[in-house]
Amino acid sequence: MVDDVLVPMDGSEMSERALEYALEVFPEADITVLHVVGEPSSMWAGATGLALADDLEEAANEHAAEVFERAREIATDADADVDLDTEVELGHPVRAIVGSAADHETVVIGSHGGSIADRVFVGNVAEKVFRRSPVPVVVVR
Amino acid sequence: MISTLLLIGILVAIFVGYNIGGATTGPAFGPAVGADAISKTAAGALMTVFFFVGAWTIGRRVVDTLGRDLVHDPGVFTLEASVGVLFFIGVALFVGNVFGVPASTSMTAVGSIAGLALAAGELNWAVMGEIAIWWIVSPFIGFWVSLVIGRYFYAALNRRIAMERSEGPLFEIDRSGIVPTPALTDTTNLREVGGVVMVVAIGCLMAYSSGTSNIANAVAPLVGSGELEMNPAIIIGCLAVGIGTFTIARRTLETMGNELTELPLTAAIVTATVSATLVIFLSAIGIPASFVIIATMCIIGLGWGRATRPMTVGEAVRGEESAPVSVGALSEDREGEELPPIGEEEEPERIPKASDLFDPATTARVVLMQNVVPAIATIGAYATFRFVPIFGL
Repeated sequence: MVDDVLVPMDGSEMSERALEYALEVFPEADITVLHVVGEPSSMWAGATGLALADDLEEAANEHAAEVFERAREIATDADADVDLDTEVELGHPVRAIVGSAADHETVVIGSHGGSIADRVFVGNVAEKVFRRSPVPVVVVR
Repeated sequence: MISTLLLIGILVAIFVGYNIGGATTGPAFGPAVGADAISKTAAGALMTVFFFVGAWTIGRRVVDTLGRDLVHDPGVFTLEASVGVLFFIGVALFVGNVFGVPASTSMTAVGSIAGLALAAGELNWAVMGEIAIWWIVSPFIGFWVSLVIGRYFYAALNRRIAMERSEGPLFEIDRSGIVPTPALTDTTNLREVGGVVMVVAIGCLMAYSSGTSNIANAVAPLVGSGELEMNPAIIIGCLAVGIGTFTIARRTLETMGNELTELPLTAAIVTATVSATLVIFLSAIGIPASFVIIATMCIIGLGWGRATRPMTVGEAVRGEESAPVSVGALSEDREGEELPPIGEEEEPERIPKASDLFDPATTARVVLMQNVVPAIATIGAYATFRFVPIFGL
């Protein structure tokens, strides 16, 4: 029985589907939603904006709030009887996800995220997480 | 009598200029418009005026480099070839705008012209080498200067440039005299005016720098072909840019695609000032500069400098005595490694650290990606001009 699942969410539709899947397949498990902020972008402005903030943690949480809000809505819609845990990490999504995967039993991740630009600068996150994760990974399509 | 081909050439040049106007208004005046300092129309007008000033004064040197010096024999710029080169520049701009992968117009222009010259065996390698060296050196200068600012001066700068906009318009028109003059409204304070004047002034500086380096991208092939004189070419190019600033720029000012507006205002100002100054300097010595890459390296430098400044975030906020954090934090911080605790009173769990945001390998990847479009244009231009026999070479 899997009872501790990590769901990395970037706010894309695919990542929402991953959460829905996790709620459905692991109804008994504790689910942690992970959002990575300050990821690489074409001119690096997002990451630099965070680095320049007076309180990095607060700024990071602010960026992540919207994604977590949406995640809770999805959990409510699915009538899931779980309290979602949330976690915010900084920097490269793959590194952050793989880094926190060790603290969980399974990772449930959407097969791809946002735009072509993201793909160019970050690569396919799901594929890399799948290859490097220390725990089993479910890739939702 | 203007030949049809020249007319096509001018039209393509206008198309390129139009896109340049659309693409560069965002970075230049995005922060000012975002802060409600000026309207979009005013941004378009200022952009056009300062672009023209930059193009007319210094921009012609870059036109000379691209249109004459880069090739041994300007004869390679047949009208057909000029249209071909402009086509590649236009496609690069298009790709940048549509896919959100910013491509340097100047690098693409140099690349396409080099491809053409190479195909014709007329490339001036000395000039090409000089340009390439500056392309490598200038981003590092921008990176280093911004790093120093981010590390040692950012906090102080940020306190000075606190920009708070009060309710209501900044100016009102005083019509009591014979000549209507703008006067400050009651809700405006002096500090606010200072901030507004500053963002607008820096927008103008950016517009000027854009004019110095970008006019060549639109008109250099036509000037090189000898079919168009320098001055009429610059005027036509600037008119096209002007049309772009009043039309598509309205949209680019709004889209979140403009990375500079994601920065805090102070950071945008620092980045804009450093990179615009570098671009103007390079244009003055006739080097077509790549604003996108210089600005990116400035942004990374600023953020990295700030992230590795010698005190922890919490302490910086509370103004306590600084505790040195390893400067090499970035290089030590490899994958899977436990992060050292920063402040003692914090919870023992992993604390997000700003230097997590700057991974050298990923940074290199982003910078590399910005060179992809110009590289493709160079190879594409070479292959096209070498093997497609319609350019009269």
